[in-house]
Amino acid sequence: MRLAIVVQRYGPTIAGGAELHARHVTEHLSGFAEVEVLTSCARDYVTWRNELPPGRDVVNGVPVRRFPVRRPRSVERFARLSATVFHETHSVADELAWLDAEGPTSPKLIEYIRSNRATYDFFLFWSFRYYQAYHGAKAVADRAVLVPTAEREPAIGVSLFKPLLSGVRGVIYLTPEERDLVNGASGNGGIPSIVAGSGSEIPARIEPGRFRQKYGIQGPFAIYVGRIDRNKGCDELFEYFGQYATGERNPLQLVLCGNSILPIPDDPRIRHLGFVSDEDKFDGIAASDVLIMPSYYESLSIVALEAWALGKPVLANAKCDVLKGQCLRSNAGLFYQNADEFCEALSWFERLPDQARALGATGRAYFTRHYAWPVVEKQYVDLLDRLTREKRVGGGPLSDPLPGWWERRKRTLPPAEYVLETLPKGPSRRS
Amino acid sequence: MADFNIRSDSVNVEQIMQQIRARIREKRGVDYTEQQIRELAAANFERFLDPQGARPGLLERFRQDGTSPIENYSFEDTTLFESHRAPLRWIRRLLRPILKLFFNPNPLAHVLHMQAGINARHAHYTELSYELLHNLVLETTRLGVEVKNLKMRVESMSSRFDFAERRGRAIESLVHRRSESAVEEPPARGRTNRAQAAPAQPPPGQTAATGQPAAVRDTDQGGSAEARRRRRRRRGRRSGAGRVPGEGSQPVPADGADAGDDGSQPGTDDRTPETGGGRDGPADKPAGTDTPTPSDREGQ
Repeated sequence: MRLAIVVQRYGPTIAGGAELHARHVTEHLSGFAEVEVLTSCARDYVTWRNELPPGRDVVNGVPVRRFPVRRPRSVERFARLSATVFHETHSVADELAWLDAEGPTSPKLIEYIRSNRATYDFFLFWSFRYYQAYHGAKAVADRAVLVPTAEREPAIGVSLFKPLLSGVRGVIYLTPEERDLVNGASGNGGIPSIVAGSGSEIPARIEPGRFRQKYGIQGPFAIYVGRIDRNKGCDELFEYFGQYATGERNPLQLVLCGNSILPIPDDPRIRHLGFVSDEDKFDGIAASDVLIMPSYYESLSIVALEAWALGKPVLANAKCDVLKGQCLRSNAGLFYQNADEFCEALSWFERLPDQARALGATGRAYFTRHYAWPVVEKQYVDLLDRLTREKRVGGGPLSDPLPGWWERRKRTLPPAEYVLETLPKGPSRRS
Repeated sequence: MADFNIRSDSVNVEQIMQQIRARIREKRGVDYTEQQIRELAAANFERFLDPQGARPGLLERFRQDGTSPIENYSFEDTTLFESHRAPLRWIRRLLRPILKLFFNPNPLAHVLHMQAGINARHAHYTELSYELLHNLVLETTRLGVEVKNLKMRVESMSSRFDFAERRGRAIESLVHRRSESAVEEPPARGRTNRAQAAPAQPPPGQTAATGQPAAVRDTDQGGSAEARRRRRRRRGRRSGAGRVPGEGSQPVPADGADAGDDGSQPGTDDRTPETGGGRDGPADKPAGTDTPTPSDREGQ
């Protein structure tokens, strides 16, 4: 089987969530099929500037073809069009212009996909919201498999994506919440799909004691791993932790691992270690009592999975449907909706270490059952085998032509954020 | 995916979360979820929009009008002359200079163009005002709940304060009574330890008031002291029948209040009518202190 992985950016140093997921899956699928990556020359997702050389490359043994981006993103134009599409009644032409402005606009990549459609059995497109996924999947609708990596954000309400989400051959979701969201937005419940997360490379040797010694940390502590940013809910984390620490006699410490773009509160119970190596990250999680995930938007949260893989419980923000759903399904994490719940939950971890350990053990079992690489690989391979067996009749909605020039300019489409409001909310209970 | 519901016998996240919320409720009093606050806000919103109940569908209409996109048109300077038929469009363009001899269509086009813009802005403001109103009502409801909670906390604090004040008064009166009784009575057998440990007690052998030796005071008071000793001896013989030897000399905690609070030795105090429960009573449980102690509340 020959597979093309089409992703907006690709490289060993590119650390975006979807891109990292694409690379891990690609490297694992290369053991089962002949895999080639088709991507842009960009490294920066804000500008899509051509930074890597076009043409062939090899990354960790996987062949890669890079195509230049026609023009870097104009942030101002993109912001203006985003405001139109997300908040105002708009037209199909507005949506097309928005998609074009979002990028990475690489007509050469689309042209290559169209002219080499017979070379590959399937094209796996990552991230539904980008230019290459929409135009690429339109070019090869009968061989397109989509990994949407959709989150609860207005882009899912853009009408242009409805035929994309419902017109591909198969869809691979990261979580059941993502599947419910996409089903609600596009009504694509009938097409073959799987919910397959991402495995994680857990080192064989974990040394929590080494971490404590290296950073001079004593006593029980909670850990946060990731960018320290308002978008990740860290300002709320600091506020809630302040309330918790003042109300407890022997509060847990808070250890932060990651680059910060927020000022860290001046509190002796908060330790900021900055960016740490993978080794320190895993040792740190293993040394901690609980991992805190304060983010509002997560499509999977690999760090939470890694904590479970190491037998550690998680305290997650309940406002993020995915995290709450993961905690409920795994039975290995608590969640908070407000400061009181945060304080009480942390206090629970501090007071009942045995039960906290039991939560962690359940998390480890959950990870092994659903997120170990052999499990994930098998799910991908099974889906592709199924799609190979089942031939599709007709082109599907993706092959339908766009409206005519005049119709395309009629401002009749509702704002994307209105559409988003109508989509299912809350954690998913079904697998 | 396969079965997602791995359940451990010992832990259940949903149960733990229920316990956590129950603890919060105990601490905070009333606790509303986000959904409940929204429902309350919706009720407030309805009342706010329709105070007389004259128009039952008003809320729904406002919601629809406020959130549904309004159809608008675009009007440019060429709109008046447009047509989907190309020849007609061409003829109109050709005759436009002649038309302009009769009247100037430009101000008309300009005004209609502006009107389209005003319509668009108005639609936008309507959406904003709906959202603003909605958020204000939501926030007001949230504040109302918060005020209710704070009121409850103030009440709780006030009752705790009352309790502490009563307790303080009881302890003060205890100390006061002890010092008074120490002036009245000399240290006696079976009460020696208590007398020595009492905070306002003079050194053994001296009265609190005068500092004179106890023997001197006994001699001064003469027959009354002798009569008291006789009464005590008689009472000792009567109650001694059912009592364990030496019980009368059981050491008693120095502070009656503490003895009552920890309750470690109930019933072992040698409480004669002069020295017993009547004195320690207020410290054990001050009058009117049926209210649970702060520690009791925490434990609830």
